[in-house]
Amino acid sequence: MFPAMTAVVLLYALPLVRSLASAFHGDDGLTVAHVVRAFTLYGRDVAFSIGVSLGALVLIAIASIAIAGYLTLGATRWAVRVLRWLYRWPLFIPFVVAGQLSRSFLSTNGMMNTVLIETGLLSAQSAQSFLDWRGLILTFAWKQIPFVTLLLAGAMAAVEPSHSEAARNLGAGRLRALFHIVLPQAAPTLWVGLILSLVAMLSVLSVPMMLIAGNPTMMTSMMAHRITYYGDYGVANALGLFSYALTAVTAWVYLRLTLARETQR
Amino acid sequence: MNALSLSEVTVDLGPRRILERINLVVTPGSFTCLLGPSGCGKTTLLRAIAGFTPLSSGDIRLGERSITELPPEKRHTAMVFQSYALWPHMNVGDNLAYPLKLRGIPKDERTQRVATMLERLALGGFEHRSVTQLSGGQRQRIALGRALIIDPPLLLLDEPLSNLDASIRRSLRGELRQLQKSLGLTTVMVTHDQEEALQMADQIVLMREGHIVQVAPPASLYQQPADLEAARFLGVDNTVACSPQDPSALAGAKTLGFRTREARVDVAPSVNALVRRGQVTECVYTGDGYQIGVTANDQTLFATARTPVEAGRFVTLQVPESALIPFGPDHRYMPSLNAQEHTA
Ligand SMILES: Nc1ncnc2c1ncn2[C@@H]1O[C@H](COP(=O)(O)OP(=O)(O)OP(=O)(O)O)[C@@H](O)[C@H]1O
Ligand SMILES: [Mg+2]
Repeated sequence: MFPAMTAVVLLYALPLVRSLASAFHGDDGLTVAHVVRAFTLYGRDVAFSIGVSLGALVLIAIASIAIAGYLTLGATRWAVRVLRWLYRWPLFIPFVVAGQLSRSFLSTNGMMNTVLIETGLLSAQSAQSFLDWRGLILTFAWKQIPFVTLLLAGAMAAVEPSHSEAARNLGAGRLRALFHIVLPQAAPTLWVGLILSLVAMLSVLSVPMMLIAGNPTMMTSMMAHRITYYGDYGVANALGLFSYALTAVTAWVYLRLTLARETQR
Repeated sequence: MNALSLSEVTVDLGPRRILERINLVVTPGSFTCLLGPSGCGKTTLLRAIAGFTPLSSGDIRLGERSITELPPEKRHTAMVFQSYALWPHMNVGDNLAYPLKLRGIPKDERTQRVATMLERLALGGFEHRSVTQLSGGQRQRIALGRALIIDPPLLLLDEPLSNLDASIRRSLRGELRQLQKSLGLTTVMVTHDQEEALQMADQIVLMREGHIVQVAPPASLYQQPADLEAARFLGVDNTVACSPQDPSALAGAKTLGFRTREARVDVAPSVNALVRRGQVTECVYTGDGYQIGVTANDQTLFATARTPVEAGRFVTLQVPESALIPFGPDHRYMPSLNAQEHTA
């Protein structure tokens, strides 16, 4: 108990508090100058980060519900088996490699456009690069969907099969059984998956660095930039503060939702 | 017209054949029990009727209509699961209203019908309770109510009473049966409790290893089980080889079966009875008498007595002819001369 606590304090809590403190620490003591500077310099990047993260989360939620739902309630046995085997492999691909893959997939001369042009769905002139916010959303989603699906499919499998069978017996089709019976019971796990994905997206440096050339970009890029070029830890930590705030808000919303449900029981 | 008819229903799960060529008809408004030992395929048969287990071959008809190819949601059967399967994220009222909601019934009418159903289940005012806070018996009723609220043409019950303790079970048996009769509901219930089946059913379907062994009303099943194994399952716990001095009406039988409570060791000898002499090996109090173990011809038989009998004493075990169940050399039930007279 005691050594564990000490380790947590020394290795996690202390550095966190130090970095938070340095966000408010200037030459002449306590100051909000860093925060203000971070916001005036990088306000657009903060907004961009929020937009991209939300976009990716929506995509992740939709895809993972669809995949996990099919894994749980799918009627075609072989399709379920193939999907179960297929969906996991991006889990084992690091973010850097994911970034690399999407660069070669989404650029103007990338694989996606090549295929689209060759199949005649797109004319060569109107081919454009997806290496902007869209590429970022797609890459983050691609990387995180298997993870959230894994969690969600587990939670859905833990819902007693008789619950959805009872719904179907009383007249609900598969889709209704999914949205009325299975998903509500697995929802807390979906929230956990989405929050963990948000944290991952807000902390990944490689993907935005590889996909986004100019401004605006994700906060992580700007933090790295601030530190490597200016050695400016104050503003970097103030940017970090925004990331904490964002995840904290989400976590709070999640806790509110689950607690409301618990007290309802 | 039959409410439900199964013809040649066969089910395979993986490589195993679970049900083999099941034929069964259920008349409208009747109460049918599927009875059999654990693992014989009762639940599988019920799930096949509800549409959760695909058939390898055969046909299931609800009324005139074949439902074999329909998905569960289009079959309009109402099933009560052994675990009740109440949805924990909905309160009692929402659980009951869900089937109505699926049918597009407006909110006011839903509320009204849920309230009526709760009254009928003697759970009036429970709408806003959480289903996780109900007792086993209350859950069972809510599960039943959720199935009944849509006036289903066929009610399917999978051991609905087995999770309850003995006293509630006994009272719910009566309630369930009365409800079923008053609504004229065609019902198929799975149970492995023979007493439950005998008390509730109009027709009992005795199953074993994926086959139907016998379909009969409770009294005939009890008195004339199809074969020796069925008899044992129905509480015929003694069997003896038939000998020439046994009642003549039973001539031709190879084996005679009888229930312990029909055999006495403390009555005056009579002519038309099975008689075996033997030595008492044990005497156990059973509440309404004593169960006596008797060793006769190297075989232990059981009988009852009103007063205790010392171990080691020699006694005469007697079973009246009417309580003897004859079986032929193939272990199948063999109608005796008497039984034939009775049925004639
Ligand atoms: N999903 C399945 N896959 C393969 N075999 C199964 C499956 N479900 C059940 N079985 C097998 O089918 C047989 C019949 O099972 P079923 O559940 O119908 O028995 P039951 O008569 O309802 O028994 P109980 O009284 O114990 O509930 C059993 O031998 C069981 O092992
Ligand atoms: Mg069963």
